Amino acid sequence: MLTVCPYFHVHQPYRVKKYRVFDIGNDTEYFNDNSETDLNNRRIVEKVANKSYRPTNKILKELLDKHPEFRFNLSFSGTVLDQFEAYAPDVLESFQELVATGRVEILADTYHHSLAFFYSVPEFKRQVQKHERRIKQLFGVKPRVFRNTELSYRNDLAKWCEDNGYIGIMSEGWEKYLGWRSPNYLYNPPGCNKIKVLLKNYKLSDDIAFRFGNKEWANYPLSADTYADWIHAHHGDGQTVNLFMDYESFGEHQWEETGIFEFLKVLPEMVMRHPDTSFKTATETVEAYDAAGVYDVPDILTWADTDRDLTAWIGNDIQRDAIAATYKMEEAVMKTRKRDIIENWRKLQTSDHFYYMCTKWSEDGDVHAYFSPYQSPYDAYIAFMNALSDLQLRVSYAVAEREQQELEKQESEPVPEETQKDYPDVTNTPDENETHEVPETPEPEPEQKPGRAGWWGKLINKIPFFKRPRPQRTSS
Amino acid sequence: MRVLTFGWEFPPQQNGGLGVACYGLTRELLRDGVEVIFVLPKTQETAGDARFLFADDERLIKVLRTDVSIKPYMQGDSTVDVIVGYDSQGKPIIRSRTIIEEAHRFAHQAALIAKSEEFDVIHAHDWTSYLAGVAAKIASGKPLILHVHATSYDQAASSNVDPAIYKIEKECFEMADKVVTVSQFTKNIVVNKHFIPAKKVEVVYNGCNMYEPPQLPPTLAELKRQGKKIVLYHGRISIQKGVDHFIRAARRVVDVDKDVVFIISGSGDMLTQIIEQVGAVGLSDNVKFAGALWDEERDRMYQSADLMVMPSVSEPFGLVPLEALQHGTPSVVSKQSGVAEVLTHALKVDFWDVDEMANQILASLRYPVVRKQMVKEGREQMSKMSWRVAAQKMQQLYRSLLQYVTT
Repeated sequence: MLTVCPYFHVHQPYRVKKYRVFDIGNDTEYFNDNSETDLNNRRIVEKVANKSYRPTNKILKELLDKHPEFRFNLSFSGTVLDQFEAYAPDVLESFQELVATGRVEILADTYHHSLAFFYSVPEFKRQVQKHERRIKQLFGVKPRVFRNTELSYRNDLAKWCEDNGYIGIMSEGWEKYLGWRSPNYLYNPPGCNKIKVLLKNYKLSDDIAFRFGNKEWANYPLSADTYADWIHAHHGDGQTVNLFMDYESFGEHQWEETGIFEFLKVLPEMVMRHPDTSFKTATETVEAYDAAGVYDVPDILTWADTDRDLTAWIGNDIQRDAIAATYKMEEAVMKTRKRDIIENWRKLQTSDHFYYMCTKWSEDGDVHAYFSPYQSPYDAYIAFMNALSDLQLRVSYAVAEREQQELEKQESEPVPEETQKDYPDVTNTPDENETHEVPETPEPEPEQKPGRAGWWGKLINKIPFFKRPRPQRTSS
Repeated sequence: MRVLTFGWEFPPQQNGGLGVACYGLTRELLRDGVEVIFVLPKTQETAGDARFLFADDERLIKVLRTDVSIKPYMQGDSTVDVIVGYDSQGKPIIRSRTIIEEAHRFAHQAALIAKSEEFDVIHAHDWTSYLAGVAAKIASGKPLILHVHATSYDQAASSNVDPAIYKIEKECFEMADKVVTVSQFTKNIVVNKHFIPAKKVEVVYNGCNMYEPPQLPPTLAELKRQGKKIVLYHGRISIQKGVDHFIRAARRVVDVDKDVVFIISGSGDMLTQIIEQVGAVGLSDNVKFAGALWDEERDRMYQSADLMVMPSVSEPFGLVPLEALQHGTPSVVSKQSGVAEVLTHALKVDFWDVDEMANQILASLRYPVVRKQMVKEGREQMSKMSWRVAAQKMQQLYRSLLQYVTT
């Protein structure tokens, strides 16, 4: 018996617009680019919906209808769900239809596609919980298997997941930690006795995700027939073949012209052609097989590059500076108890922002190998840091205002606490209070847009920098 | 292989990037055993020439001087004073000639040299030598490479292109066997403005000489003590260099941060206009004119500055950001430059986008990590841009032309 466990990761970040130094203190909208560039988030979602989400979901639905044995897993970032809701609600509905078959499992994840686990476990936990609520609200299910941003993984993450009730976690099947062993079995993380690790078979996964349309590749063009044979070759040498990849591999990373959709259409049939081969969801896989040994990963492992580490996100000085500055704000941000501030801060934690600042592949002017909506890693860093600077200003004003209010409250007659608060308190016991932070309504509260008037204007005008008139334009 | 080379600038004369480029390329060609006959016009005769003749690498070189006088960066109708002879009392007779007349005289000499020297291929640098290159080709029948370090479009920043220079460029490009440009940016001009077929034009990027410069005593110490941040412009002050855009960006910067000081190092035909512009926008306190700085003074300024800006309207290559990097100072460079194609670790901006230029200046002063990283990674990248690579590409071109002629 050999089962295949496919998992497709669906994600879009909120890209930061070309936010300039002059905008700091004047513009609280960091993600609303409306140009014809790839910084326009709506434009990207609409484009990828047409190229990938709509046609792929149509095929996946047909496959589920046609083959009762067919199963797979999906994971969504909260940021992509929010953008589907706003820009492509029909795509969200088509995903809901897939999940409604009961044969498509949704995995747990961080809401904001962040690397929070490695910077702040409390914040990580809040994002996982927020994600869980969102999945429950949209799909009516509760994830039981965890996957972390960029498939990043470490022993202590597995331990955290076990302690928080997950039965499985996904990771890269990497030789450095596997040794001679096969990724096609389940393993236990060290120090855990319940949770099992599902390891990505990166060779077979990357054949689809990275190599499929590459005309230089020896196996181009790859037929579903051949590919199924490669899977079948693992009979007797494993129990589960875990194919983990970006959902956008279908139609976006591998364009329609490569034949990727035709490949997908016949793949399940080809795989199940062998009598002892079928599909399982992650939970079914975890429940079906025992762990074959211990998978010990003391350092961060990801699914990226030949290094399989986080260097694409935090490999250079500007990346480390930006991510450190972001997490340094945590205490003050939470203290504000302002939903718009907390949400903006979390959107800035999305790993993509740091990836855009990567200079790893830009040596020798080879910028083509590197995908980013910004013209350079430095442009990405500057836009991000300017937006973060504005957020820092807002946080410091909000904290000052909060402290002022509390001072006044202490002086005046005590009032029942609930009526005083604009936002639920998430500072003291964040984990429990967080559950109240986002009520079970699909539409997040619109963001505040403080203008120059009101308390914001008063505060801002106290700072000489912002009081100056807008710069004069010279005529030369 | 022996190459007859025409140029009009050679170190240690203090001009622009052309002399540096001719020197770097020649040095590496010699190292590879290529014999170079370098023909320079008369006014290039300096003490520096002798020194360079004595250098170990340059043993094979033979410097010839001709009776013409060309000065760099002149428009076609600029005039130069030349000694044309001596009167009976031994006093020099001085005449004024236009630069184009000088280029023609250089060409006349070139034809004579070409007839008396043995060589395989002709290589002429910059427009003032194009006619010489063509004359040598006609005289000898040897293949000709014209090396474009700048075009009339760059000098004039695309407006008021000198028609006489354009005519020389276009006609000579058509006569040449190959045209070499220092960037894709310049290749595009040659293809789109001079209508030369793209396959005849090759890009050979300039190299740079990586070395560890000595730490010099800082300059502008008083400004630094006051906590001022220093943004440097170094180059000619002419329409091509976009200094007027730089001043407009400076205005925008100072509106946000009055502690930024802009140093203008250089001179040129737009100097008066720029001084007036600085006064008109009320930046006299923030913009300082340092005059044209050279050698150690210039290097001290590079080392003391927090940021260098090269706002060129049209810059075929642009050596200044690399020199600044050598001294540990990162740059904002205009996208209308060749160096923007090869240097990843710089901030890049359209010269006309004054707001973005100001944003990049402010942001890089505000977030020191970005400057640190551009220097660290930029220097690594620079160490791979050697003249050796350029010289090897030139040799390939020489050989391909020899085949073309002999078979």
